[in-house]
Amino acid sequence: MAPLDAATIAKLAGVKLRARAVMEGVLSGLHKSPHQGQSVEFAEHKEYAPGDELRHLDWKAYGKFDRFYVKRFEHETDLRAVLMVDASASMGYRSGPLSKLEVATSLAGALSYLLVRQQDAAGLSVLVGDTFRDLPPRAAAGHLMSLLGALEQLQPAGGTHLRAAADHLAERLPRRALVVVLSDLFDEAPDALKRILQLRARKHDLAVFHILDPAELEFPFDDPTLFLSMEDERRLEVNAREIRSSYLEELGAFLEETRELCAESDVDYQLVRTDQPLDAVLLEFLARRQGRRR
Amino acid sequence: MSFAHPWMLLGTSLALLPLLVHLFDRRRPRPQPFAAIAFVLRSHRRTTSRLRLRRLLLYTLRTLLLLAVPVALARPHLVRPGGLPAHAAGPAATALVVDRSLAMRFRDEESLFERARAAAREALASLLPEEPVTLVPCGPEVEPPPPPGFDRSRLRQAIDALEPSYGGADLNLCLGLAARSLEENPLPGKRLVVVSAFTAASLRLEAPPPRIRAGDKLVTPEVVLRDVAAGRALPNHFLLEVKAEPAPQAGPRMVQVTFTARNASAAETGELPATLELGGRAVAKSFLSLGPGATAQKTLLARAEAGGAVAGAVVLPADGLAEDDRRDFVVQVPRELRVLVVDGAPSAVRYRDEAFFFEAALAAPGSPVRPTLRDPEAAWREHFPEYDVLALLNVPAPTAEVAGRLRAYVEGGGGLLVSMGDQVEPEAWNQRLGGLLPRQLRLVKSAGATGETAVRPARLGDVAWDHPLFQPFTGKAREGLLAARFFRYMLVEGGPRSGDATEVLAAFDDGAPALLLARRGKGRVVLLTSTVDRDWSDFAIRTSFLPLMQRAAAYLAGGLDERERMEGRIGQTLVLRPEPLLRVVEVRGPSSGARVPLHPEPDGSVRVGPFHEPGIYRPLDAGGAAAMAPFAVVLDPAQSDLTRVKAEALAAYFGEEAVRGPAGGAEASVPVWTWLLVAAAVLFFLEGTLLRTA
Repeated sequence: MAPLDAATIAKLAGVKLRARAVMEGVLSGLHKSPHQGQSVEFAEHKEYAPGDELRHLDWKAYGKFDRFYVKRFEHETDLRAVLMVDASASMGYRSGPLSKLEVATSLAGALSYLLVRQQDAAGLSVLVGDTFRDLPPRAAAGHLMSLLGALEQLQPAGGTHLRAAADHLAERLPRRALVVVLSDLFDEAPDALKRILQLRARKHDLAVFHILDPAELEFPFDDPTLFLSMEDERRLEVNAREIRSSYLEELGAFLEETRELCAESDVDYQLVRTDQPLDAVLLEFLARRQGRRR
Repeated sequence: MSFAHPWMLLGTSLALLPLLVHLFDRRRPRPQPFAAIAFVLRSHRRTTSRLRLRRLLLYTLRTLLLLAVPVALARPHLVRPGGLPAHAAGPAATALVVDRSLAMRFRDEESLFERARAAAREALASLLPEEPVTLVPCGPEVEPPPPPGFDRSRLRQAIDALEPSYGGADLNLCLGLAARSLEENPLPGKRLVVVSAFTAASLRLEAPPPRIRAGDKLVTPEVVLRDVAAGRALPNHFLLEVKAEPAPQAGPRMVQVTFTARNASAAETGELPATLELGGRAVAKSFLSLGPGATAQKTLLARAEAGGAVAGAVVLPADGLAEDDRRDFVVQVPRELRVLVVDGAPSAVRYRDEAFFFEAALAAPGSPVRPTLRDPEAAWREHFPEYDVLALLNVPAPTAEVAGRLRAYVEGGGGLLVSMGDQVEPEAWNQRLGGLLPRQLRLVKSAGATGETAVRPARLGDVAWDHPLFQPFTGKAREGLLAARFFRYMLVEGGPRSGDATEVLAAFDDGAPALLLARRGKGRVVLLTSTVDRDWSDFAIRTSFLPLMQRAAAYLAGGLDERERMEGRIGQTLVLRPEPLLRVVEVRGPSSGARVPLHPEPDGSVRVGPFHEPGIYRPLDAGGAAAMAPFAVVLDPAQSDLTRVKAEALAAYFGEEAVRGPAGGAEASVPVWTWLLVAAAVLFFLEGTLLRTA
């Protein structure tokens, strides 16, 4: 199966179809992956409780400790994942067929599919301006439709408030969870990203999909241009060609700083261009995570 | 500043274009909602001041560029006083005539020639680019100049390489050559630029002014005069002539130098010390005062340190033209000659003595010869090299041992005079000294006895008058020599031996040799085939006897042949007549390494020159030794007269317009549009660079 490029994804109407297409692409990729079949691997011990399968009793541990322990395997680990989607107005920017928000919702939908398919709990937290819409993590199959439906309805609006999102998630996730952030990280508040990364301190596993448009990365403007802010009233008339090199320097520094902060906090960071094949993005993400677990 | 095409200046309004574009061509910017506007704002803040400066620079460069091009096309020229006037009919083919005469060496703060070089360079720079130009260096030798061309760099180099000469310049000739070089040029305008001090010696106003042939008619070219003396007088005193000659009457090795000095300025010179130098040493001094235009003559006496050719100079205090305040000369100072007279037939009666007349002739008052008389027996005991000349007068053949000493003496550079008489036995002489004598002796011929009139005595018939021995014999002195009668004389073998260096200087009227000369080694031998007393001739009592014997002694000692006064002039040639057996292969000038052109003539003489530098010149043989006495080359005194041609005379000769040049009335047109074009190109390059670095 060929990778799903942005133009193909864009032709699919709605998040459900896009997410499914992406997921199928990922599954197809996983079958080819040398890392498949890991779900039956030993994960941890658990003290025996009535109802546990006797075939998983660890007799060697019984011999050592004189107590019954049951082996637990990967596929049995009940993962709680929260997909935090930034739906601020800046995520609505597009220079190609897909906006950043559409890429974010497609990736979030595909991840939801994968999680639910593995019987893991998937939840959603959407940041729209300074308000949040949450769907708590659940592993039920019917929950998947709710997730996709919520993603489907998202419209970009308001500013980017990552600090508030970080605080919100910290309150909402008392137990250890995987938090997947899908955002352009364009929050001008100082230390906004650091607040997000502080979720690691609460034992949450954290992954960041840094979604940017190719026009933001390459600044292909030539003529005198009136740049308008998408989140507030700021505007600037400038000859784009004259500031291009300076802009690229500034953006490069921002990306480098973001990458370093994520690396310092042991956070999965992935820069996603909106013109990239999304299944390839997810495969790369999964492969990297698999590598980390081993 | 003036403009060739002033209407092109309308194009300068183009310089407003950048401003107009800035004001009116403000395109509506495309609105672009942009998520990463924070980075755009930050970039703009960072670069705004730099961009503003860059925009200002770009605006300035473009404005200047658009300003420079139309101004350059308007062909602006800076007008500067003292330059070449623009030709009314457009560009003109130009010939630059630069005076290289001696007068241009005149110096006050700087030399006139340095000013001339600067003026020529300036004239060259002020020409329009489309004006071809040629250069005519005007000195003692002038060559037709090449046709006018556009290679300014080569001409600048040629002007820089020009040097003033020591000779004169014929400006009329140079202007004529310059005018002819312009004839072939197709440009209708013709211009002659004359850079000179305009002295009377360089310009003949009686000659016709320069004309240029244009088809069938002669037209007057535009003449621009650049007076490097700027109208000032050029005061100058100089040595007109110096005459140096031996003054034996004043004492041994005394030299009398008579010099004439002239003041060619309008003011008195005051007391001028004149110094006489001999052999590089100041030996006498005198003072003279010269009124305006006055000439004075002075005579100085001094003793030379040694005899022979002595180089000297008369030196006046240096003025603006120092070159003519020194005049070199070469004087032949008689050397004291020691002559051993061997008397072969002594007699108690003095006038019957063989050596009586000879000794008397040599010891005459004023003669530099000091004779020592000996009979043969005593003479052979003498140490020959102590004498300059040995005179064997009617001497019997010496012994073999003496003959050997005599041979060695002559070949070592000594002089030997042999005269005949009754004591001379031809066979014995031939046997002992045959190789030394010019020719072998044969027998005595009698042409008649003394006092006899029936038999006609022999007289000298064929004499080499141009030989140094006979040079004083002119007019009556020559008649006196030819009147001497010879009654007996020794016949010698006929014809010279092959390879023998023998000359017959005089022969009797029957063809028999009377006086023979031979070179033996470094020395000379003179054979008189008759006697030096009255036994065989009456020559001893003739007036010609004394000078001939003195000259023979001097000649044998090597001090006579160079007595001829030789002096060269700048720009002229000189004929050197070396001894028949000597060759002049090189003449070395006063400047080290300066060789003078030599042209051998069919008669054996050598034409030297033309000379370009005053001073002492030394003729050398193939071995680098002196082949002749040195000689002096002097300036032409006519070139030292720096009287200037009056402006009115120049105006009458060249026309009023030409004379305005020297007076500073003309204006030079210095083109600046080429620089503007260069500036525009630089601006264009800078603008492009600025755009690329954006």
